[in-house]
Amino acid sequence: MTWTDVLTFARGPLFQASLLIFIAGMIYRLVRVIFLGWSPDKVKNKGSKAGGVVMAYLKSFLIWPFIPWVKNTFKKNPLIYIAGGIFHLGLFVVLVLGTAHMLVWKSLLGFGWSTLPLPIVDWMAAVTICAMVVLFINRLINPVLKLISGPAEWLNLLFVFLPMITGYILTHHLFFRYEVSYSIHMLCVDFLLIWIPFSRISHFIFYFFSKTIHGEEFGKRGVKA
Amino acid sequence: MSEDSIANELNKDGVSRRDFMKLCGLMAGMMGLEYLPPSAKNVIGGNLRSAYAPAQLVAKALSEKPRLPVIWLELQDCAGCSEALTRSQSPTLGNLVLNSITVEYHETLSAAAGFQAEEAKQAAMKKYAGQYILVVEGSVSPKDDGIYCTIGGKSSLSLLQEAAAGAAAIVATGNCAAFGGLPKAKPNPTGAKGVWEVIKDKPVVNIPGCPAIPEAFTGTLLHFLVFGALPELDNLHRPKMFYGNTIHDRCLRRPFYEAGKFAASYDDEGARKGYCLYKLGCKGPTTYNACAVIKWSQGLSFPVQSGHPCLGCSEPNFWDGGGFYQGQSAILDKPTAVLVGAAAGAGAVIGLGAAAANSAQKKAAKKHPEEKKE
Repeated sequence: MTWTDVLTFARGPLFQASLLIFIAGMIYRLVRVIFLGWSPDKVKNKGSKAGGVVMAYLKSFLIWPFIPWVKNTFKKNPLIYIAGGIFHLGLFVVLVLGTAHMLVWKSLLGFGWSTLPLPIVDWMAAVTICAMVVLFINRLINPVLKLISGPAEWLNLLFVFLPMITGYILTHHLFFRYEVSYSIHMLCVDFLLIWIPFSRISHFIFYFFSKTIHGEEFGKRGVKA
Repeated sequence: MSEDSIANELNKDGVSRRDFMKLCGLMAGMMGLEYLPPSAKNVIGGNLRSAYAPAQLVAKALSEKPRLPVIWLELQDCAGCSEALTRSQSPTLGNLVLNSITVEYHETLSAAAGFQAEEAKQAAMKKYAGQYILVVEGSVSPKDDGIYCTIGGKSSLSLLQEAAAGAAAIVATGNCAAFGGLPKAKPNPTGAKGVWEVIKDKPVVNIPGCPAIPEAFTGTLLHFLVFGALPELDNLHRPKMFYGNTIHDRCLRRPFYEAGKFAASYDDEGARKGYCLYKLGCKGPTTYNACAVIKWSQGLSFPVQSGHPCLGCSEPNFWDGGGFYQGQSAILDKPTAVLVGAAAGAGAVIGLGAAAANSAQKKAAKKHPEEKKE
């Protein structure tokens, strides 16, 4: 058994199995949430539901990059607000606009797209890793966060951190032979795929559900949220 | 084969002392003898003290040692490795391998054929028992009693075992002999295997590649000739001196990788500027071989230099290691639509089950509110 075998396994059958578990798990979660039950709508609408949804999304996408200071969360702890934002942005850039990752999408979806130059993605990755460290330290020293952090929260951080750091090591050919870093990276990714549906990292989909439903509620009741 | 030393043999053939020393220098350089290989320390004591020492070491060995008998088996192969060897970098070197190292038996190269050739092999195996190097080109096919590859009525497996029994060492040249190569590609109808999977009681050196780099092959034989021992091997039994680095490590396009400049197709702006071929499926980062250093056709070029991504032909199972033109980060097996559907269906069914259980629980709680308080 060589590292090449490990790599072939992690890129092939294991990835496939993880992906299927990921799909099954996410659908399971979604179906469960949707069938939790909807409260009956007995009140007449005060405003437009669709308008509320649009407003909710516009706010969430425009406030962070352009006018973060209108938010209380920013005023109270700007460093964490920025670190959290950069972390999410960096993750998106690396996963979607990184050349190597685009090729993964291409192999799955059958089509690709143009990507950002590697040095830019590389810097974003480094910044994202730093943001994760900041968020970790914050969770470590903030008394309130400390109280509400269980093992799941710490593990979430770790399991997202591992693919990031191994990916960085892989791109820069640090410490290990390429196929070793690549194998470890893929094993971390495979594990993360299985972990996501059963952890709060699933918010990458559920966020949009709650955002839509909240926006709809705000619109219906004419709340300026 | 006479028992005269190689130097004397060459001298008789009209190679002058000056040419002989040049050859020794070339061989030392090819073997990468800047330091004394660990595997040779027992054979020759001490260290290499000066820049001239490696060539002197080779010269000393060649002037003392008799020629090296080689028996060359071709099993499930295309003779491409033999072809590559006959086009080896230096004419003197090719001459050295094909004449001075004495290939006693080679199906493609020998003038004799049929029973004559088989008899010659038997005679050589008897005469040089325990001394000869067995070179194997092509994979073994033990499946179904070896009916898929027979020579002179004998299966590839029995031929290999017979020849391996009296060999001092075995050199498996090319990916087929080393790791099964092309015949082993899925679904592997002949049950093809590499030599080292079959022969366990003899030292086996793998010189994988499709074909193997002639200089890597010759260098390994020369190492055995000069030091009387096999070179240092990695975990896949490949000589470290040739397979110590990846193509990517020594690639002339590496700076473009570092700068993130990639060719996106074979005739775009990037391809014309010589950018990195990673996006076009280059397997350089995981492929250990000396192509980027020794190159091919008398050092003229190698695939990546000429604009084609590395296929990873010196790695096990390279034929099934993902599409040749698919980026290396791409996954190997895309799940089928049926599997994805089944997974989604399973998720939905379990989700619905859980939801049904939830609503049943809710109804029960509404009917018997007192139970909730407990």
